[in-house]
Amino acid sequence: MGEIVIGIAASHAPNLANPSMLRGTDEQQVGRIKAGFAKARTLLEEARPDAIVIFSSDHFDRCFFDNLPPFLVAVGDSAEGPINEYLRIPKVKVSIDAGLGRFLVSEGLENGVDFASSADLPLDHAEVVPLSFLTPNWDIPIVPIVVNAFAPPMPSLKRCAQVGAFVRETVERWPQRKRVAVLGTGGLSHWVGLPEMGRVNAEFDRWFMDTLAAGQHSDIIARYKKAEELDAVAGNGGQEVRDWLAAAGAMPPSLKAQVLTYEPLPGCGIGVMAWTRN
Amino acid sequence: MSQYQVSRLLRDIARDSEIARRCHTELPAVLKNYDLDEAEKDAVKNWSVRALFDMGVNPLLLLTSSMAMGTDIRAYTAALNEKR
Repeated sequence: MGEIVIGIAASHAPNLANPSMLRGTDEQQVGRIKAGFAKARTLLEEARPDAIVIFSSDHFDRCFFDNLPPFLVAVGDSAEGPINEYLRIPKVKVSIDAGLGRFLVSEGLENGVDFASSADLPLDHAEVVPLSFLTPNWDIPIVPIVVNAFAPPMPSLKRCAQVGAFVRETVERWPQRKRVAVLGTGGLSHWVGLPEMGRVNAEFDRWFMDTLAAGQHSDIIARYKKAEELDAVAGNGGQEVRDWLAAAGAMPPSLKAQVLTYEPLPGCGIGVMAWTRN
Repeated sequence: MSQYQVSRLLRDIARDSEIARRCHTELPAVLKNYDLDEAEKDAVKNWSVRALFDMGVNPLLLLTSSMAMGTDIRAYTAALNEKR
């Protein structure tokens, strides 16, 4: 049977992977963010995962209004990206654990989680940015699960946590004895392309991370049942906390959460947390 | 109004740097592939961030396509906040 051995949740702001976009940013803040990612990388390496399931977002570079699944699982043999060139992030190619991806999809369809699937899913900065810190050798197969977090109507926070829990249950009945990490990427508060762009709500971000770390993600779900309520405090970019809630939902009780770093960078609250055995 | 068509153009600009380049050099030829009305064509021709925003284009799509078109983020924010 498979086993979830670690969870990580982290922001994926593209400037983290593009030094030219970080120009003028407080170097000490950037240093603390990189230290948080370095700690997460150490924890990930100690957990020795065979695969990483990634709950991440799309930025209209893979999904669009003509075809907009709430949850899209990559089931090809590999994936390349980021697909968009304007971010000037070096492209990478990463293996996909297609066996696990297909198992999640088929089990989902038989058990009430109607995943969409793609045999040719490009990567987005949502996966590439955090992985550039966590697995810079690109040597651990991944299973991206793209969550619609930008194009309303979107799956509820509750549903995201439920899908996370379903992923844990499915990994645990997967016939292969593999160690699986779960990564949730996105957020925290930021207003993307809106007149408020540049704003960050550090108070919300810290509350969100502390609540998640305390194992109280049901409190977050209860408070933000509607996307508009989350928009008001965390911006449209804050809708990506769906990926964090999915990761939290996937955590077995044996893993305990810790906040590794939080910095309110201008334009985006950046956080990293992990769930580990110790 | 054909907001979907505007969104489709902005998506293509963000995804394909060649289309973004052609929007600068041969926009009429590019626009033949999209069913836009005159106001929408004008907004694209002038890359009027505020006008496109007011048409209801998703702000993420507007930002990413603007970046692909070479718009500086500060200029984008200033344009978005200009008085209507």
